[in-house]
Amino acid sequence: MTSFGDRPAIAMTDEQLMIAFAEGKTDAFSELFTRYKQPLFGFFRRRVVELAQAEELTQETFLAVLRASSRYESSALFRTYLYSIAFRILQAHRRKTAFRATFLGATHGDREPAMQSSVLAGAVVREAVGKLSLWDREILMLREFEELSYAEIAELLKLPVNTVRSRLFRARLALHGILAAPAPSSSTTGLTEFEEGI
Amino acid sequence: MNLTTHCVSPEEIMAYLDGDFSASDAEALSSHIDQCEECSELAKQFRAVSQLLSHWEVPFAPAKLEEAVLDAATQSNAGQKLRRPGLFLRASLWTPKQWAFRSIGAFAATLLIVAIFLPFSRHEDITTLEKIEPSSGQSAARARSDVNSEFSNSIVAGVASAGAQRDALAVRQMQPQEMVAAPTPAPAPEPKRVISGTADHAPNAPVPMIARTVSLTIVVKDFSAARFKLDAILAHYQGYAAQLTVNTPENAPRNFQASIRIPAPFLSAATNDLRALGRVENESQSGEEVTQQHADLVARLKTARDTEDRLRAILQQRTGKIEDVLQVEEEIARVRGEIESMEAEQKGLEHRVDFASIDLQLTEEYKAQLNPPSNSASTRMHNAFVAGYRNAANLLFGIVLFFTEYGPTLLIVAAILGIPVFFLWRRYRRMLAKA
Repeated sequence: MTSFGDRPAIAMTDEQLMIAFAEGKTDAFSELFTRYKQPLFGFFRRRVVELAQAEELTQETFLAVLRASSRYESSALFRTYLYSIAFRILQAHRRKTAFRATFLGATHGDREPAMQSSVLAGAVVREAVGKLSLWDREILMLREFEELSYAEIAELLKLPVNTVRSRLFRARLALHGILAAPAPSSSTTGLTEFEEGI
Repeated sequence: MNLTTHCVSPEEIMAYLDGDFSASDAEALSSHIDQCEECSELAKQFRAVSQLLSHWEVPFAPAKLEEAVLDAATQSNAGQKLRRPGLFLRASLWTPKQWAFRSIGAFAATLLIVAIFLPFSRHEDITTLEKIEPSSGQSAARARSDVNSEFSNSIVAGVASAGAQRDALAVRQMQPQEMVAAPTPAPAPEPKRVISGTADHAPNAPVPMIARTVSLTIVVKDFSAARFKLDAILAHYQGYAAQLTVNTPENAPRNFQASIRIPAPFLSAATNDLRALGRVENESQSGEEVTQQHADLVARLKTARDTEDRLRAILQQRTGKIEDVLQVEEEIARVRGEIESMEAEQKGLEHRVDFASIDLQLTEEYKAQLNPPSNSASTRMHNAFVAGYRNAANLLFGIVLFFTEYGPTLLIVAAILGIPVFFLWRRYRRMLAKA
């Protein structure tokens, strides 16, 4: 087990690990990577179409953290810091994709088939989430999947905490209404739109 | 559900379930949810939504991701530079402060580049103009005169003798910002025939006929003395000024532009004397050969004169109807007109050859002078206020004029460009929402 001084790396907070890395301890970053590799990959995988893009954006986020490590200050939670970088990278990716689609006619590649287990349930949920408005969807996903607090979401999206809470409330009720309603006969269209959306 | 029947709001129930609720209130809320059927149902809904969302799973992150990132971490700690991300990504990571500084920097750099290169391009334009029309000093002078016409407030025009100009300018110098007309021009002194090779321009003369033009820009220390020296040079070489422009702005160097004519044989000597007036900043010389043009003219003139003689002989020797006589007289009048026109053209051509043209520009080596303020502070404030008001009014009026003049055109252009831009923008927004 990796340790720094008398403390094992696993017992250290994210912020302490980041400072340790800035001081030259590469293993500290390994521990951070282990903690956030899957959540961050999930963050992108649920929001971009292609698996390879999700992988690339995840890598880009970690590289951005590495580049900025010397300037890191532990005034904010590392998790918030990491997701704020990831969110900006995601926005840049969305702008680039939209720009290419608008001016160069480039379109999304083939859609990734539904993944692993619970294929059907997952597809229905994704379709339902895709029907929410952009901000409601983003807030809901940040809360449910990334498990960020209201304050963290507010900081990330530059919104007041009360707005985050009311939108999250609205999103959950809307999602419950969609999922509780009888399935429409032609769900293909909705699925297609949503698949493009994420 | 409302707060009159419930002690908590639905959003608070959601926050409690999310663990985003203060611990002190959590116990009361928990007991309320247990007791209240409606709130309990709402909590169940929230839990159900979260549970459903948990069905949305993602695969495990690929192993190569770990290799790539940890390699980069090792490189980073070893002091090596990591690869730069793309422009879109870099721009997205800039802070608002970085955006502001970089935008201002880019704008300033653009302005600087424009400021550096604009004068060069203008200088090139003028140089090109001189190169394109090297044989026509007058054209170049005229072009320069056009360019500078806004800045030149006093113009002395016409052909005048050196003495008459001196008198006129000596008087006008006291009134620098006013247009000055020279007195009735005295005829230019006839150049002595010593000067010729050009005196007798026979068609087969071996001496080529060349109309010479010199352009000189000179910076002088003593502007007034240089003016008088110039007059002396003109008198000495029996030259004259075709055009003179004197500009004496306040708190700025005075300048003097002249298009002068010097008998061709004295051109070299006169140019040397002019160079001695100060520091030569720019000089160019050119010559236009007009031998062939002159020979053609002389030949045509001779033919016309012969025709005229023959017509006169017909008139004197033959008899006929009165109509025939009138027709011959008409023909004589036409030929006579042509002869006179050609004679004038010949004289002009010979004059251009006999008298070389010098486009002279004298600029004063300006020394700033510390003059005590002539007006009191209150007067200057008043003047500044009036000037400020006038400038603001002019600006507003200028804006109104601009939009009146160009508004309809701009609207048409905006309509033409706006439609595709609007559709592109809408498409971009749609793509962004999809992405």
